[in-house]
Amino acid sequence: MNDHPIRLSVSDDLRRTRITVGLRLLLAIPHYIWLALWSFVAFFAAVLNWLLTLLLGRSPGWLHHFLAAYVKYVTQLFAYLRIAADPYPSFDAPDGYPIDLSIAPAARQNRLTVLFRLPLALPAILISAALGGLGGGSFSGSSGTRISSNGIGGLTAVAGWFVAVAQRRMPRGLRDMSAYSLLYGAQLWAYLLMLTDRYPNSDPLAALPEVPNRESAVQVRCEDDLHRSRLTVLFRLPLSFPHFLWLALWSIVAIPASIANWLITLVRGRSPASLHRFLSAYVRYTISVYAFLELFANPFPGFAGSPGAYPALETHIAPPAAQNRWKTLFRAILAIPALLFASAFGSLAWILAVLGWFSALVRGRTPRGMRTAGALALRYAAQMLGYLLLLTDAYPYTGPLLGDGPEHPPAPPVEPEPEPALVFAPEQTPDPSLAANG
Amino acid sequence: MDLAVSRSERSGAGRRAAWALLGVLACLAWVLAAHALWRSSVPSGLKLPHVDPRSLFSASYLSSSRSYFLLLAINSLAGKLVLIAVLVLYARRGQVLMRESAAGRIGTGMLLGMLGFAIVWLAELPFQLIAVWWERRHGVSHQGYVASVLDGFVSLGGEFLYISFALLVAMAFAGLTRRWWWALAAPVFAGLALLSTFLSVYLIANTKPLRNPATAADVRTLARTEGIPGTKAEVQDVHRFTTAPNAESVGFGPTKRLILWDTLLDGRFNRREVRVVVGHELGHLAHHHTLKRVGWLILFLIPAAAIVALATARRGGLARPEAVPLALLVFVLLQLLSAPLMNIVSRREEAEADWSALRATHDPQAARQLFVDLARTSHDDPNPPTWAYVLFEDHPTIVQRVAMVDAWQARR
Repeated sequence: MNDHPIRLSVSDDLRRTRITVGLRLLLAIPHYIWLALWSFVAFFAAVLNWLLTLLLGRSPGWLHHFLAAYVKYVTQLFAYLRIAADPYPSFDAPDGYPIDLSIAPAARQNRLTVLFRLPLALPAILISAALGGLGGGSFSGSSGTRISSNGIGGLTAVAGWFVAVAQRRMPRGLRDMSAYSLLYGAQLWAYLLMLTDRYPNSDPLAALPEVPNRESAVQVRCEDDLHRSRLTVLFRLPLSFPHFLWLALWSIVAIPASIANWLITLVRGRSPASLHRFLSAYVRYTISVYAFLELFANPFPGFAGSPGAYPALETHIAPPAAQNRWKTLFRAILAIPALLFASAFGSLAWILAVLGWFSALVRGRTPRGMRTAGALALRYAAQMLGYLLLLTDAYPYTGPLLGDGPEHPPAPPVEPEPEPALVFAPEQTPDPSLAANG
Repeated sequence: MDLAVSRSERSGAGRRAAWALLGVLACLAWVLAAHALWRSSVPSGLKLPHVDPRSLFSASYLSSSRSYFLLLAINSLAGKLVLIAVLVLYARRGQVLMRESAAGRIGTGMLLGMLGFAIVWLAELPFQLIAVWWERRHGVSHQGYVASVLDGFVSLGGEFLYISFALLVAMAFAGLTRRWWWALAAPVFAGLALLSTFLSVYLIANTKPLRNPATAADVRTLARTEGIPGTKAEVQDVHRFTTAPNAESVGFGPTKRLILWDTLLDGRFNRREVRVVVGHELGHLAHHHTLKRVGWLILFLIPAAAIVALATARRGGLARPEAVPLALLVFVLLQLLSAPLMNIVSRREEAEADWSALRATHDPQAARQLFVDLARTSHDDPNPPTWAYVLFEDHPTIVQRVAMVDAWQARR
């Protein structure tokens, strides 16, 4: 149950208008000016709000209202820019936008957390940077290189733009992921602007009002109970060294095996059972090692990648099924967007792992939100590997799925239906029954 | 019936006799191998003259180096006692950590082995930090506390790899042959030790070729004199961590190398002294000490593995992961017990290398000065108490080394 004071409502129907998608960045120019003006005022309002909240223990109603409207407006504008919603947003952030926020009225806040709000927000800022929450940003490294931190949100915008222009629809997974990152960013801003003292919740399953349960050839079933052994947490990195070595050796064999699998699948239209079995074990093993290393699961994994050997975060891979030869032929090229997403999810997973390490060491538990976000990242990695190694021709699903958490196990794996022709589809066509909420 | 019983008894007695004979032969082979490894080129009748440390060092140095040495020795001893206590506790309770594993029999054993090492590291950490503090206080080390902890933590990864592989071998063989895994594992461990010695030169960090032309020329000359021409020398960059001078010889065959710490070449030691160091390390290589160390390790490992097999039998043998904490305890205990014996072996090899250096350089004055300077720069106690000498010293004391120089001079 999501009881966070900053909540998301989604009434988007996934349909997009080509012309407004194509020109979206230009159409939003008036909003950039309005956003700059509003941000200027909001900065001083935020400082004032901090002082008054520290003094009164609660944000004054008029300031809370002003800053809540600002956060709502920014969320709506970024939803528009990232193709997570279609209608042109209003300048006064009214209710009812397809991706909208509800922000609870001002409530009492812990003065101590108000005083140290900025340092306390640092972990959330890191997660938000990886997720590409509101605003994104960039910073210069010591070498002078400029690093963008648009994160997953930025990628969903770019991928969504291409798909929406081509298909006049936004894939559900991209939209949901974008909505999740926007909500996390909004919760972070609400925390920073003293609208609430509730910490941002990184749980993707709690973010969205409705999370789909999809059937897929590669699924991850999470049965983790959040408990962590402090001893194995403290030594998690060196404990993983034997696995790194074994994974490196296995990868040396897996690479030629995947090339052989590609050739045979191209000829026969189906992955041979022996190679499929071997590469499936490789994917299962890889995911279990990273789940252990990044603290998204607790037990020390085995070395064989056997089915059912790692129930805490088990990767299920369906038996070989017929695959589209065109998709097989161009697999390496088609996988590029998925690789980019996997890289962004990988960054998120590492940030969650580092933050989760401290948390698990102190509390002996990992926060549910971080674990579930990590499970999402690993599920995407598993689906990407399955796609790249030709275990399936189903494209990885970007958005949160019910199976990413232990409360909602995913549907059993099924053989995906073959598709007759080559279609560049970064997401599978959404199931209408799972489409927009509301 | 009686005839059958008698035959069975005879057959049983015959088997026992065969095993006993095999045991005697194995012990004999062990003794013969140890004897072969024990041989030294230092004259057997060499009598070391008495050397008074007060003739080499001032009274204040002797007092200060004694207190420096004693704290390190007591700290190390306390660390060992805590290590044993922790391992006893781990042997009794360690198997509860099996619940943290989803890795099957061998994988779980690996986890327990690694966690045992991790707990040992944690238990020894305070003692390590005390040693760092003491060395920094005496200007012997520059290493920071955090760097020391981080270095230890990172090097745990390498230790984890070793223990995991050792347990993989031992537990895999124990799964095949419950009681005799040690006999099968011993050749594998021997091969690994040999491989590790052969490749050890590639595992040493921060090395660069020896560029000092005078020292390089000395290395070439002395290598020819000691019968190992063409031996390569490298310099290891350690001055960021320590001021202590040192050198080592590693590898064998094509990988044999002489490694000189850059703290030896920073101007505190003159060319003649460095020549003695080079002669000493080349002496190790010329007398195959790197290989002999592997030989001694094997001689230790075979009975140690057999004792571990015997000790873990009550817990179902090493095939079962719950036996790993006990195996770890037994192995570490054997290692601690055998340390004084291994120190004797090491001191004998060091003495032989010193003798070899004297024969190659013909420069007893430089050798004498080197040993005195080595003690001063490392703040070494030239004549430590006997208990500490037995437990910790893997080199002859400075006084013994100077005495050997005197003995060599007397024989000329």
